Amino acid sequence: MFSKDVLRLDPEAETNRLCRFLQDRVLAHYKRKGVVVGISGGIDSAVITALNVRAFGAERVLGVIMPEKESNPISAPLARQLAAKFGVPVVETDLTPVLDALRVYSHKDLIIGRLVPSYDPASDKTKIALPANVLDRAAFNVFTLTVQKPDGTSRSVRLGADDFREIESVQNMKQRVRMMQLYHHAERLHRVVCGTTNKNESDQGFYVKYGDGGVDIEPIVHLYKSQVFELGRYLGVTTEILNRMPSPDTWSGCVGDEEFYFRMPFDVLDMLLYAWNNRIPKNEVEAALDLTEQQIDRAFADFEAKSKATWHLRTLPDSIAEPSTAGTEA
Amino acid sequence: MIKEKVKQFIVENFALGTAPTSLGDDTSLVGTGIVDSTGVMELIGFLEQEFRISIDDADLVPENLDSINRMVAFLQSKGVADLATGTGE
Repeated sequence: MFSKDVLRLDPEAETNRLCRFLQDRVLAHYKRKGVVVGISGGIDSAVITALNVRAFGAERVLGVIMPEKESNPISAPLARQLAAKFGVPVVETDLTPVLDALRVYSHKDLIIGRLVPSYDPASDKTKIALPANVLDRAAFNVFTLTVQKPDGTSRSVRLGADDFREIESVQNMKQRVRMMQLYHHAERLHRVVCGTTNKNESDQGFYVKYGDGGVDIEPIVHLYKSQVFELGRYLGVTTEILNRMPSPDTWSGCVGDEEFYFRMPFDVLDMLLYAWNNRIPKNEVEAALDLTEQQIDRAFADFEAKSKATWHLRTLPDSIAEPSTAGTEA
Repeated sequence: MIKEKVKQFIVENFALGTAPTSLGDDTSLVGTGIVDSTGVMELIGFLEQEFRISIDDADLVPENLDSINRMVAFLQSKGVADLATGTGE
């Protein structure tokens, strides 16, 4: 029977299973010497770091910390603290000059300045977000840009398709530059890049193709966010990271994952996503979560829409399987 | 007229290769995957520009935009006249 206990883990058993998986993949399958992990200061990379230390020992795990000027200032210190706790050596690279050279900031500022003429890149914070609380309102996934002034006032505008795609394509360069850095270290050390994507992100397309999705292994892609937190508590992840609100950390304005993309709190999201994935009868979901059928329908429709819109993230490049011969039809 | 314009836009931009006549007027565009999230943004832009209306955030719901017939009804509720039939509010 579906209940709130359905996502409970045996953290010790799961840790052992994941360590065996990592050892098998990295050492036996890839025949590499260890792993490289991008440590962001968030829960997913913290758990991945801790798991890899369990599997291989700290000396075979390299943490790479890659802040940029729009990162939350607390992220890098939390990443360093986490690495220090687990004895993981780190390299730290500020990505701002690279992103500057790629015109990530200037390109985005141009678009924002056109949409919000009062925008001052020197002092204002920005973020984008989807409509809140999908359970109570079935609004389409249309992003709103918000510019926040130092005096606390803000201005929000709805993004059109062209502007959203321009901004998204520019912002995604942050994750793709991080991928470049991780592979640089992995290749020079003969290691693999270990991903940090969780199931919510994978199912709903909340990652960047060949950005944070460009990795060699994904040990926690089967885990819902609450399960990642459960593992984090078991593995001894720092309290500061356990208590930190998950966020994309790609915008200067403070925006959590819920506001930015998922449109509902993680404890409800995980249960509903599990129910959708496993075709749990709606009456069981209503009873377990104290939600109405209409609320569940709205959530499921949102999951369906996001899954369909991001299917290409989960595919390999297309190719023609059959070799050409003299008789191949043109 | 409204319906034809909307259908033509969808076929040309999202249902590539589909004949306009085969796109159902009550087909759920997002539900069937014909229009995705950024596609909805394109649709909003088209409706605002083509029919010279402003769509509030509160109106960006499936009831108003998720099928051709729903869009036609929504546009008529916003005062867009259907010139071919002479209807409109």
